[in-house]
Amino acid sequence: MLEIITPSVSFFVLLSIFFIGAISSLIYQKNDSIANFLSSFFSIIGSLCGLFFSVSMIIYGKNLSFIINYPYSSFFKISFHIDLLSAFFIFIISLISLFCSIYGVGYLKHFYKKYSIGVFGFFYNLLIGSLLLVVTASNGIFFLIAWEIMSISSYFLVVYDRYDTDNIKAGFLYLIMTYVGTVFIILSFLFIYKYIGSFEFIDIKSGISLIPLSIKNNIFIFTIIGFGTKAGIIPFHIWLPAAHPAAPSHVSALMSGVMIKTGVYMMIRLFVDILQPIPVWWGILILIIGSISSLLGVLYALTEHDIKRLLAFHSIENIGIILLGLGSALIFYSLNMPELALLGLMASLFHTLNHAIFKSLLFLSAGSVINEMHTRNIEEYGGIIKYMPQTAMFFLIGSMAISALPPFNGFFSEWLTYQALFQGVAQLNLSFQGIFIIAASSLAFTGGLALTCFVKAFGIIFLARPRSTKVSSIKESPLSMRIGMGFLALMSILFGLFSGYTSRLLEKIGKDLSIFKDTNYFTSASFYQGIDIKNSFASVSAPIIFVVLIIIIFAVIFIFTFVINKNQKIKIENTWGCGLNLNKRAEITATGFARSIILVFKGILKPSIQNEVEYHDADSRYLPKSRVITIHVKNIYNYYFYQPLRNIINIISLKTKNIQSGNINAYISYIFISLIIALLSVL
Amino acid sequence: MNILFLKFLFGVMFLTLVFLHLTKKNFLATVAYSIQSLVITIVLFNSFLETNNFYLLLVVFLSLVIKVIIAPIFFTNLIKKHALAFSVSTYFSTPLILIIISILTFIAYSDKFLPLTSIIPNNQALLSIALSVIFMSLFLIINRKGALSQIIGILSLENSILAFIIFAGLEQSPGLQIGVIFNMFIWIIIASVFISMIYKHFGTLNVTSMKNLKD
Repeated sequence: MLEIITPSVSFFVLLSIFFIGAISSLIYQKNDSIANFLSSFFSIIGSLCGLFFSVSMIIYGKNLSFIINYPYSSFFKISFHIDLLSAFFIFIISLISLFCSIYGVGYLKHFYKKYSIGVFGFFYNLLIGSLLLVVTASNGIFFLIAWEIMSISSYFLVVYDRYDTDNIKAGFLYLIMTYVGTVFIILSFLFIYKYIGSFEFIDIKSGISLIPLSIKNNIFIFTIIGFGTKAGIIPFHIWLPAAHPAAPSHVSALMSGVMIKTGVYMMIRLFVDILQPIPVWWGILILIIGSISSLLGVLYALTEHDIKRLLAFHSIENIGIILLGLGSALIFYSLNMPELALLGLMASLFHTLNHAIFKSLLFLSAGSVINEMHTRNIEEYGGIIKYMPQTAMFFLIGSMAISALPPFNGFFSEWLTYQALFQGVAQLNLSFQGIFIIAASSLAFTGGLALTCFVKAFGIIFLARPRSTKVSSIKESPLSMRIGMGFLALMSILFGLFSGYTSRLLEKIGKDLSIFKDTNYFTSASFYQGIDIKNSFASVSAPIIFVVLIIIIFAVIFIFTFVINKNQKIKIENTWGCGLNLNKRAEITATGFARSIILVFKGILKPSIQNEVEYHDADSRYLPKSRVITIHVKNIYNYYFYQPLRNIINIISLKTKNIQSGNINAYISYIFISLIIALLSVL
Repeated sequence: MNILFLKFLFGVMFLTLVFLHLTKKNFLATVAYSIQSLVITIVLFNSFLETNNFYLLLVVFLSLVIKVIIAPIFFTNLIKKHALAFSVSTYFSTPLILIIISILTFIAYSDKFLPLTSIIPNNQALLSIALSVIFMSLFLIINRKGALSQIIGILSLENSILAFIIFAGLEQSPGLQIGVIFNMFIWIIIASVFISMIYKHFGTLNVTSMKNLKD
């Protein structure tokens, strides 16, 4: 049975489904409906096959390696290695692609006759296929090719809505940052090749001792920049809040939920698997980056009015949380504490999965609202729950999951991350304790601020009264979009409820990595018992939390219905507004909601507040007619990092321009001098 | 062919290059190029005698016709047509040119370049001269301001590379060599047409005066 379901052929069949989907939708590009059907059909079938493939790989614990030799090059081989870590990422990609593709069936209809659906289907299927290649490639060059296909296909999806010039700019920024990242990735592979003489991951792993520590440190820095740019860590994240809003919503979900995780995948693959043993400062640096990214990500999210940008900043925050788990894993392993390292890795993987689910759900729900409202500015929303109740419920579930509220999945992965950090505080010496305390505090702050942010987002979007006339004309999303969101909401609940079982599987995935082969579990997990940390340090049980919550909800309903309101008549009246007519001006705005928190963090956010007051009588200035408060937040990474960098590049460019004299003799002399230098250095 | 005679031929080639650097008249430069091309043709003829490959004889014939006869005639006509008798514009003064030539020759003969000049140990002396001639041709292109002198520099570079590859054992098939010579023939025609057009447009062949081409 095992041989039937997980041979290399089945993986190629899986890839070919996406390839057929890409080509067929391109062929039928003149007919939008057929192109949409073909694109969605093949991506759904491919995703289902991917789910089946990855689940069977994880359950049976089987590794798969195969190589297609390329006869014209000794260093380039089309080689795949699918271990449980790869299978886990295939699972995430397939799961999110499945629901995004179902959602896309309805969502793409509003692009009919405006843009080519066939072209969209081509790049969409290509993106999913390339994502699968990225997490399975086992040769550096082959990996880079897959990485490039992924980057380019996602770029074309970002600029799909090309009539909006902001989207083109966002795509351009994304492309530049992607290539900056790729340059560093290529550099790191070249360094590795210089010492190992092979691009094969398995050869690199076996010959890692040949690389001197100083070179390994360089490789680490390059890969952190390269893969960190894709993952969206601060300060390399600037493309993310621009590109994610620009793309169609289910592509944003795919990019935010899955594509940025490929950066995390490669960090885990390199730092935990291939480059071991590593110095302890690598882990410390990742922990620091994680703390900064999570905190700044959520702070910037709080200041946002654009719903998709807000969600994009939350992706940065959650990547930070994932890195907290990974960083602690690396520190523990470097300090010869493999059990705790496995706990950190588990937390990191669990949050990777959970973030993929709830962030996709949030992007899809936001997309449904944007699809109806035709604006991303949440200040123009309000009261949408009356018109889109199901979408509101899905958004609420996503919001609760991302805010780490039990019993949703986000709570359990953040709980595991806390446990890993607390173990660092409890078991390490003073010098490391400080770092872990800072990381845990950062996570606590992040959790609180994320909750605040989603109270703001949900409240401003769905509750209260409409802030624009558009709201009254909107309607609930089509069925396929609701199915996509509904299943993701269900996944948020199921992965919370079955967090014990999931964490058991994650331990198995972690133990499949060679460094954890002989490591004992630091946690015990089961469905009823939940997750237990060794030595009764802490435990959490999703079913118990779930049951308690259900009891509390029913108890509250019971008390209100049958005890407090027993003898009271229900009387429906208009809300009293101190004698004033209730309108949108009486409501709190997103800016007003976030104002106090922005002012608390003014040292970091550097806000500037602009007051515009209009008086009934401009001369007397006693009776204000209207007052508008605008808060601008200074882009500190832009101000302190990219701006000076741009100035330096400009200065260098101007100096370099002098070389371009326009004189052919000068050009030939450059060639001649270069030739002499090259010959002298080579001979 | 006697190695001494070959050395003599390469010596002639070297001297033509020195002469090309020093001459102030375009016509003399053309003559020097013609002599240099004749040397290469003789060397190619020597290859034919050694290999008895009749394709090489064709190469020799084409080389003689195009490089030794047609190309100089083209240039002479250009000189007459545009009254380009003098070519005195250089970036470096004559003493400095001689110093740089000496340095380039020294570099070509240095131990550092031994891996390149001792590809065939018996021909080391010839290869060193050929390498120095390559460097000097490049320097000629850099140093001269006149377009005609630069073209002669490029053609001279081609000659010196050919001399190097013959004695380094890197000689390609005669078919390829015929192709290269044909290519040069076309190139000379195009270059001549361009020179005429440039002269018409700018009224000079001094490349530093052609400012309008800059952005």
